[in-house]
Amino acid sequence: MRLEKCWFCSSTIYPGHGIQFVRNDAKIFRFCRSKCHKNFKMKRNPRKVKWTKAYRRLHGKDMTQDSTFEFERKRNRPERYDRNIAENTLKAIKKIDKIRSDRAYDHIKNRLKTGKIQRQKQARKQLEQDIHLVKAPLALAQDSSLHLPKITVNVSQTWTEENQPMEE
Amino acid sequence: MATRLMFENSCEVGVFSKLTNAYCLVAIGGSESFYSTFEAELADVIPVVKTSIAGTRIIGRLCAGNKNGLILPHTTTDQELQHLRNTLPDQVVVQRVDERLSALGNCIACNDHVALTHTDLDRETEELIADVLGVEVFRQTIAGNILVGSYCAFSNRGGLVHPHTSIEDLDELSTLLQVPLVAGTVNRGSEVIAAGMTVNDWTAFCGADTTATELSVIESVFKLRDAQPTAIVDEMRKSLIDSYV
Repeated sequence: MRLEKCWFCSSTIYPGHGIQFVRNDAKIFRFCRSKCHKNFKMKRNPRKVKWTKAYRRLHGKDMTQDSTFEFERKRNRPERYDRNIAENTLKAIKKIDKIRSDRAYDHIKNRLKTGKIQRQKQARKQLEQDIHLVKAPLALAQDSSLHLPKITVNVSQTWTEENQPMEE
Repeated sequence: MATRLMFENSCEVGVFSKLTNAYCLVAIGGSESFYSTFEAELADVIPVVKTSIAGTRIIGRLCAGNKNGLILPHTTTDQELQHLRNTLPDQVVVQRVDERLSALGNCIACNDHVALTHTDLDRETEELIADVLGVEVFRQTIAGNILVGSYCAFSNRGGLVHPHTSIEDLDELSTLLQVPLVAGTVNRGSEVIAAGMTVNDWTAFCGADTTATELSVIESVFKLRDAQPTAIVDEMRKSLIDSYV
């Protein structure tokens, strides 16, 4: 039993799910559900269909290059079974999976950070400029909870000889 | 020594088994008699391994190998690959290839030095064969058939080819492979030689339908009458140990 990847959306295909299509040139296409299969029959290119992993990777929405991807590869030359190695591999799989998902989450968070900052700026601007749509300016001035209190600071400027160099 | 046997009432022994100088692969059959015949002949000399490839029993036609390595199609499951790696000796390199032509036993005929391949085989696969099996690779046809792996069977000491091979073809192949070749049949006139029999340097297994004439031809061309298995395997072992030192 092997957990394959869907050709269209790149999700894992568990046993008992999906359809496999074998083309005349012996290339095997595996699909996780009829949605992907029907899209394939419509000859859609997964790189242009927004919800697929192929599109997301191509357009930089998801993490593409990471060292954790090197661990999950199809290997064609097996090694003799060793119990210790098998045990360590199983432990490592869990750890690597967690690291990879954390990095993928960080990648998306970073990508969305600029948008978040922009939205906050826009919200602040809107609060300053358009608050008159919500409350009348007179009421606003009288209600102390809607704006920061204006603090007046007395600045005394002493006129001395040293402060006036430019007059000469 | 050539032995006659059957696999579940079929005389196509070469379909359900793969015999080399370093190991023997046997299909998982309904009764144990097929495996027992191989075991009785070979058990103390080389490992006899029961396996399936891609969940099927036609293992002889799906894989290609010699004493240096074993090449498997991409349809081989991971569990089968691991099983073969665990049971075969370490000197044998087990490799799975991504190849459009997945019946490698029909496409590749090899002994320990030379391999004949299907003309349409990928170049990467050809390089892999040369690398894993340690052989020189030639793209050839036999009597106009591109499935060289099914229409000829050869070992390091001799070879048997399709009965309709012309004499010029026979000479050409003989010089390529550097072994004496004979055009003959197996299993009462079957032309598909490699499906009807399997052979290595000291023993051969043929279908039960093979006539006495065919059997004598096999024994003479593969030089099986005076073959001592232990001598050949010891020689092989010595040369392998030398290569470590």
